[in-house]
Amino acid sequence: MVMLIFPLFTWWYGQGWLQVARNFGISLARVSHIFSVPILLRTLWAPWRRIITYPGASIDAKLRALGDNLVSRCIGFTVRIMVLITAAIILLLVAIWGVFCIVVWPLLPFLAAGLFIKGIVG
Amino acid sequence: MNQSSTIDLTSLRARKARLAKRIGKTGYEVLVVLVIAFCILGVTTYYFEMTRLPFLSVAAALFCFIWALWYKRDLAVLAPSGTSMTDRMSGEVLARLRPNSALTPRATWQALRTHWQVLFLTNHFLFDGTIIENMLSEQESDMDAVWAEAERLSVTSPKGLVEPGYVAAALLKTSPMVSQYLTQIKLSKDDVDAMAGWLERVLEAMNAEKPYFGGIGRDWANGFTPRLNQFGYNISLHIEQQGGHFGWLTESAGVAALKGAFAQGASTVALIGEPGVGKTSHVNALAQLLLQEKNDRNLEHRQIVALNPSAILSAARHPGELEDIVMTLLSEASHAGNILLFLDEAQLFFRSGPGSFDMTQILLPVLQSRSIQMVVAMTPHDYQWLRANNPGFANLLTPVMLQEPPEHDVLRILEDAGLGMEHSHKVLVSYEAIREAYRLSGRYMQDLAYPGKAIQLLEQSLSHSVHNGIIVPESVQQAIEQSQGVKVGTASQAEVDTLLNLEDKIHERMINQSQAVKVVASALRRARAGVANPRRPIGSFLFLGPTGVGKTELAKAVAATYFNAESNMIRLDMSEYQRPEDVQRLLSNGSDESRSLIMAVRQQPFSVVLLDEIEKAHPNILNLMLQLLDEGQLTDTGGRPVSFKDCIVIATSNAGANTIRERVSRGESMESFQNELTDELIDNGQFKPELLNRFDEIVLFRPLTPEELGQVVILMLQGINKTLAQQNIKVELTPAAVQKVVSVGYDPRLGARPMRRALQRSVEDGIAGRILRGETRPGDTVVLDEADLA
Repeated sequence: MVMLIFPLFTWWYGQGWLQVARNFGISLARVSHIFSVPILLRTLWAPWRRIITYPGASIDAKLRALGDNLVSRCIGFTVRIMVLITAAIILLLVAIWGVFCIVVWPLLPFLAAGLFIKGIVG
Repeated sequence: MNQSSTIDLTSLRARKARLAKRIGKTGYEVLVVLVIAFCILGVTTYYFEMTRLPFLSVAAALFCFIWALWYKRDLAVLAPSGTSMTDRMSGEVLARLRPNSALTPRATWQALRTHWQVLFLTNHFLFDGTIIENMLSEQESDMDAVWAEAERLSVTSPKGLVEPGYVAAALLKTSPMVSQYLTQIKLSKDDVDAMAGWLERVLEAMNAEKPYFGGIGRDWANGFTPRLNQFGYNISLHIEQQGGHFGWLTESAGVAALKGAFAQGASTVALIGEPGVGKTSHVNALAQLLLQEKNDRNLEHRQIVALNPSAILSAARHPGELEDIVMTLLSEASHAGNILLFLDEAQLFFRSGPGSFDMTQILLPVLQSRSIQMVVAMTPHDYQWLRANNPGFANLLTPVMLQEPPEHDVLRILEDAGLGMEHSHKVLVSYEAIREAYRLSGRYMQDLAYPGKAIQLLEQSLSHSVHNGIIVPESVQQAIEQSQGVKVGTASQAEVDTLLNLEDKIHERMINQSQAVKVVASALRRARAGVANPRRPIGSFLFLGPTGVGKTELAKAVAATYFNAESNMIRLDMSEYQRPEDVQRLLSNGSDESRSLIMAVRQQPFSVVLLDEIEKAHPNILNLMLQLLDEGQLTDTGGRPVSFKDCIVIATSNAGANTIRERVSRGESMESFQNELTDELIDNGQFKPELLNRFDEIVLFRPLTPEELGQVVILMLQGINKTLAQQNIKVELTPAAVQKVVSVGYDPRLGARPMRRALQRSVEDGIAGRILRGETRPGDTVVLDEADLA
């Protein structure tokens, strides 16, 4: 077991640390997918659940459709922007956590050793 | 240090693997629990203002956390770390091999045999691991070949590792004794390779990343579809919820062709294929592909909705309402912007009838405007019908033909289906059962295509599992026997007795004609023992002889004895097929509502096909018989083949009857003039030599002697007594009475048929009068003498 301490540290400061960075990227992508960020950005001003149309060529019908679609676009924009903001907050939190993990990762073994010594010595 | 030429069990990688095994899943969970426990301890001791314990607790928690992470992300995974054998060997193999003991094939098998991958192999092969172990070598030098083979098998391994299953497969393939054992149980090294491939697909499925389907906002720019939700089934939604399991089918040529047709601008694709070829599966795979991949703009995030015709029909209270519903559905699909409609079994939407309605007139302007994307699935027959009856509509469809997949792909699909069945029914589907399902469905299920028919047969085998849920080849054989009425398994003892005494069984219902009976019985025994040519009918015979001597009776006896019922006989009077256009009648596939030989054999593929008076058929029909007898199949008017390979074909003819009567009356044996008779028939133009040549046997029937006619009377009397048994009355004839019936009923030109009429007049009429007059009561035995006969 003692002989494997060296491989542990080799992994911790090698592949392990790289994996933390990789997982950070994967987490960001996953959050982005869950909140459909690319789709919402592309359809930010699209009407909420499709274009409203009224059959008939009258000016009245066209004006009504124009108005309803404008309202629908506003609703769509509002919902999407709220979700995008939520996604942005979560992405930010994930990013902060990811950066924290990347920075703290190499310090953890030293932290454990330091706390152990402090606990023994007092 | 134990080192074979290719693997180092003292390397760091091997030591890490052994450590991982020692820690194990349980050790990891203990570490996680300890992390939590120490954290709680640290917080608690800090709260109670203890000086050192909080630091020690957190240190211990961090220590366990580091070890847990190392186990989870490195030791348990142990990814390939190079190109050498040791660097690519799975940790699960390295952990189980002992560095301090001899590394032999037998020791390797012993170390690995309880691993789930090795159990996967042995269970599906129905092997006993101990038997295999005893066959393996104990020479260390033999391991070089094992590692080389394992490395070859693992080239396409999902994680790039040499897994325990590959090592086990390599042990099976490289051992000479195991190879011999495989041959004895009708397996080969190719089967071991196939099993390794199956394992690889299981590993791929286990390691596959969960696909992303677009997230919560995917559909927010698309319209609502309440009516489609009511009358349709959203295939894409179902796949999203289930996780998508169409795996390699999403990469198949069929799905690529479907997607390519839409990508090139087609609005409606006709997916054409025989029943069972997988049209619905391909559409489901397309649905998965459209959800998870980056697609062209006109396909991006499309959802496939299958319309339910029965739901639509049941909702419509009158015809006008039906049109309204359909228009609403189409309008919704068009306005939603992300719907691809799927019309499965398209004939339900293109023809009116029970459970279907014709919506071609409604669809026509929709197809012309290209406002909706649609897939319509249909058989080639239905497509041809549509082209013939509605060419304007058919021209708007972009056809994509689905062919039967090759054997390799069908077996892959069956293996996946087998795993599904194992999961849902808690059974084990053996490797050989899968192969047997492929083989038997190919031979006996002509109406469906692969892979559907093989999957159907495998599912039917579930009810014939053995030993607490194992599907073996015999289960598949029993399933096909039950569903198709054919005998394919090893003959039971009762059946063996019947086959070996077939002549006696047949003679229970017909008199003499021993040569004919012997010839036919021999053909049946050859077929049942698996010796006959499987690509031709079970047997084909030409019965020549005068009328009324037992030709048809022998055919009926064969149907009753071999196919279990006299009704398993398809009888055609070839004198009704004397015109050239009668060929169409014979080969009709039923689309013109007529009944044909093709349809009869399709419904009853295990039958005696009796072609009476074959010499009277039109020469074009006789030419068809050449193909039937040679290849065991005919093609119907729709282009679909029908197999006659499980039929016994018997043609009868009175041609040469006079010659037979004359020569027999001179005391000659039939064998002595058979060749002359055949030559005579050819010279007279009654039969072509190529037709006579294709029959397995030409069997001559001789006229019955008066003694034989007497036996016929006794047989016919048994039939009358069977009827009278319901009234508990029995009739017996004295020898003189029998002679009277023979003398009254016998006509050398008409054979034994007049005996039936004679018995009816002289016996049945008399008994009927006695019963009605009350002279004969239940329980009586009536003995009729010559004087008593009318």
